[in-house]
Amino acid sequence: MSDRSELISTGEPFAFDAERDAEFERLIVRYPIRESMIMPALWMAQEQQGWISAEAIEYIAERIGTYPAKVFELATFYTMYHLKPVGQNHICVCRTLSCWLRDKQAIVDYLAKEIGVRPGQVSEDGRFSLEEVECLGHCGTAPVVQVNGEFHEEMDLEKFKALLATLD
Amino acid sequence: MEVKILSAKFDIDNAHQIEVAKSHGAYQTLEKLFSMAPEDVTNEVKDSGLRGRGGAGFPAGVKWGFLPKDLDKPTYLAVNSDESEPATFKDRYILVKDPHLLIEGIIICCYAIDCHDAYIYIRGEYTSQVKGLQRAIDEAYEAGYLGETVNGHDFRLDVTVHRGAGAYVCGEETALLESIEGKKGQPRSKPPFPAVVGLYDCPTIINNVQTIASLPFIIQEGADAYKAHGTEKSTGTHLFGISGHVEKPGMYELPLGLPLMEVLEKVAGGVWKGRQLKGVIPGGSSTPVLTAEEAKTVNLDYESMAEHKTMFGSGGIVVLDETVDMVKLVENLIYFYHHESCGQCTPCREGLGWMLKIVKKIIAGEGTMADIDLLVELCDNIEMKTVCVLSAACTMPVRSYLNKFRDEFEAYVTDAAS
Amino acid sequence: MAEMVKLFVNGQEVEVESGKNLIDALKVVGIEIPHFCYHPALGADGNCRMCLVGIEDGRPPLVPACKTPAQEGMKVQLDAEHIKKIQRDVLEFELINHPVDCPVCDQAGECALQDYYMSYSLDDSRMRVEQVTKGKKIDFGSGVVHDQERCVLCGRCVRFTRQITHTGELGIVNRTDAARVSIFPGKPLNNRYALNIVDICPVGAMTSSDFRFKQRVWFLQKDPGICHGCSKGCSIYIDHHREKYKDDVIYRFRARTNLKVNGYFICDFGRLSYAAENENRQTTATADGSAIGFDEAIELVRERLDRARKPLMLVSPDLSLEQMWAVKRIATLYGADLSGYSDSYVIDGDGDDYLINDDKAANRKGLELLDIDSSKEQFISTLQYTDLLVNFNNDLFYSGVDEELKAQLDKTQSIAVCSHQLPVFESATIALPTASYSEYGGTIVNEDYVLQRFDKALFKNEDPRDVLEITRLLGGAIIDAPHAWPGIRQSVADLADIDPETIPAEGLNLQNSEDTNVGA
Repeated sequence: MSDRSELISTGEPFAFDAERDAEFERLIVRYPIRESMIMPALWMAQEQQGWISAEAIEYIAERIGTYPAKVFELATFYTMYHLKPVGQNHICVCRTLSCWLRDKQAIVDYLAKEIGVRPGQVSEDGRFSLEEVECLGHCGTAPVVQVNGEFHEEMDLEKFKALLATLD
Repeated sequence: MEVKILSAKFDIDNAHQIEVAKSHGAYQTLEKLFSMAPEDVTNEVKDSGLRGRGGAGFPAGVKWGFLPKDLDKPTYLAVNSDESEPATFKDRYILVKDPHLLIEGIIICCYAIDCHDAYIYIRGEYTSQVKGLQRAIDEAYEAGYLGETVNGHDFRLDVTVHRGAGAYVCGEETALLESIEGKKGQPRSKPPFPAVVGLYDCPTIINNVQTIASLPFIIQEGADAYKAHGTEKSTGTHLFGISGHVEKPGMYELPLGLPLMEVLEKVAGGVWKGRQLKGVIPGGSSTPVLTAEEAKTVNLDYESMAEHKTMFGSGGIVVLDETVDMVKLVENLIYFYHHESCGQCTPCREGLGWMLKIVKKIIAGEGTMADIDLLVELCDNIEMKTVCVLSAACTMPVRSYLNKFRDEFEAYVTDAAS
Repeated sequence: MAEMVKLFVNGQEVEVESGKNLIDALKVVGIEIPHFCYHPALGADGNCRMCLVGIEDGRPPLVPACKTPAQEGMKVQLDAEHIKKIQRDVLEFELINHPVDCPVCDQAGECALQDYYMSYSLDDSRMRVEQVTKGKKIDFGSGVVHDQERCVLCGRCVRFTRQITHTGELGIVNRTDAARVSIFPGKPLNNRYALNIVDICPVGAMTSSDFRFKQRVWFLQKDPGICHGCSKGCSIYIDHHREKYKDDVIYRFRARTNLKVNGYFICDFGRLSYAAENENRQTTATADGSAIGFDEAIELVRERLDRARKPLMLVSPDLSLEQMWAVKRIATLYGADLSGYSDSYVIDGDGDDYLINDDKAANRKGLELLDIDSSKEQFISTLQYTDLLVNFNNDLFYSGVDEELKAQLDKTQSIAVCSHQLPVFESATIALPTASYSEYGGTIVNEDYVLQRFDKALFKNEDPRDVLEITRLLGGAIIDAPHAWPGIRQSVADLADIDPETIPAEGLNLQNSEDTNVGA
């Protein structure tokens, strides 16, 4: 894991929109302590903003009534929280055992060579970002690629190229 | 060879929808359930021999029995749906294909342990699956199976989905509890055990999705019907996920106890591309590897695996063909466990990174024989010196590759030297 | 009395307190179990793994001592080969990514990593691959400087800000070997106890910007003392050193554990008050602004006192009981009024519910016990008609100059017996230098009626006379602190049974025999 502690500030205050605001209030009654809402709130911030800014972390801490440093801890510990903006299409390629055995590397290499995006990067035009992730739990249909949260199984280079062509 | 107990509705279109599920028997155990005394439910589960399907294989009913009696605190159920062990993908099938089976199982468990608040901790990567599960729960509320009453019975039950966010260690039951409590997923020292001091310091049962999903059958058909499958000590069926170098990878429900090779040949179509078998990882990446020779004599049950000095684990079987570079496979494994180390205990936090760098050095042709020995020693120095078994989940398999395929490590050293 | 149990350590039977964790229980009988993350004020975390010990026939056979209560009959293995190996291994893991920059590290000499390496390892490094690099010299605020590479991630600092100050500025971010202690960006340490983090950090990861690179710790003489920063009277260490050809100088104060008074910590104000002991001192006697010899000055004071019709003596609420008593005696001798007026030492609302008190006087309870009038009425009315005020180090302007009072003081002939050059002493016609609290010994009583004794820590090249000695030079009969006690015992009922020699290190509660325990 590389360091995730360099937060990015938008310079704008963050607040949940009406939909998330309601969702927050709906969920919080399900837990006996408010801090249980840190993870759900981080998810909501990420859904709303696409990623999680320093301001969003502060907002969540304030809203829950906990220390910003504690929300910061969670945001950096759990690697699915994006602490910087991702591409219009966020591509996760599973790098672990079964996908590795069935040549996930061909997909990663293709993205580096043809699209110019390497793991951890966003393409220059902002269309794609690539992340190599740990086991995605689709080992029986490896290799698997997740694009904007949707799984695409039994990938090979040809199918992957076809998939890329369908993306905005 | 397949037996469809858990997967009975997997092939039915739209069985994830409550009406379809109900027309195929979903929630039909509830009448019987509420006619039973809670302790009878626990006893039935004990009798069934059902073992925890998360990987450790601890008898589920016995675990429930650890809950303290007459404590002035609520009891919680945390359903472990973090399924993150590499090569494991069985629970996902239940979540996607038959979520109402899981909900029905949750009702059974909660009734047995007198729990009114259950949390399903689902790994964050299961994006669409989270949504599907939530939809199913919403349907169950609407249909009156969850909420203030359950199927008309005076029993409140709320089920809340708590979504992880990319941390394998949260599959460890106390890390999972920490995560629900809004903390980093860092395992707790035991004792105390969660059955006594668990979620929010209250007694808590943590069961795997497949374990819970096995309950409706056991209650409906009885322990004996369940025990009719499997072996004496490894009863029932299991969802086996077969991946890697086989012709027909996938998820198969099988009774426990079948010979591994027979399953690989007859169910999974054998090693792909007509190649030779090199080894088999029997139950997820943290189980020690079996050589092709060892694989010939092992059966898919807890006891046989232990006899072969490996573990049944999660039922995630990975087939390795003759082309696999075991040194690079070890690099892939250590990379995973290093990445997933919670960073709490010194040996795991610092040691796994060290091991990874040594393997990389060997692969780069800069290794020495002493580096190989050092790797073996580091396995010993890290293993069992930590709060949880994440480090052992790395060192146990890594040691097995170093022992069984040492020549491949040595070849990197000698090839570089020549 | 706590229940005692017998257990075995390396086969040897020891008797320890039941239920206490093994680290604390065995420490009492002189057995060290190495550890980084455990701290008695912060509880057991169990992350460092340095305190793993064997339990013969135990289930499990290997346990963290910090989380294992002492039990009857337990067989603890500390010197077994497998335990010694674990200690070496854990140290190796702690050190592989550590910069080992001891020569430039302030912690060298009092570093757990260094000490344990010497005691439990001495192995050569086997680290032949690239180290993990992290942040250096990070300003955490409040004078705390952090080095992430030296850090062993024990989390004591994080727990301190969450459990003790409840300010939560720190967290451990990331995971695996990328984990590091951090503040949330833009939210530095902002509490009045932050520098304790430097004390509790077992390694050189947290250093004090005030102390950094000032002195090697092995040169420091570490004497126990009592903070005079407020009426809590926290136990401290006075770390000082007399460099060749220079004077004895204090480099820092540190918290000294005292469960009866301050627990394990002190406030930053008190900690940094050491500087005032070094600076701005009154070092020579003066008369009408000109330096004169000390003996000459004493003579002048005696003359003035003899001549005065209605002298008024004012004592500082920081003086020791013995000093107050000695002044009280010479006040009688000279027919002087006596006041302990010191309202300015009280800063309303400054205190908290932990260690910091509104009242900045170290020995106000001493004034009360010795029945010295501290009322404003008495002082002001006496000041109106006195023809000579002798001020024994009382900073009447502690919380700022009181103009009305200053005008009155300017009109009054006064003598200052003072340790520091302060505005309040400016109107004095004669100034006598005197010792400050690190330079004499005595007893004081804190706000909770805990009587504590402290000894002289500093020996200056020219040792300033303390107030008690000055009273002797002015004709008083008490020649030193012990000689004050027969009189004190006789006149103060609460102190009738006190022998200052037998006051325990943690002090003596004068109000009840029950131990007061601040918990942390």
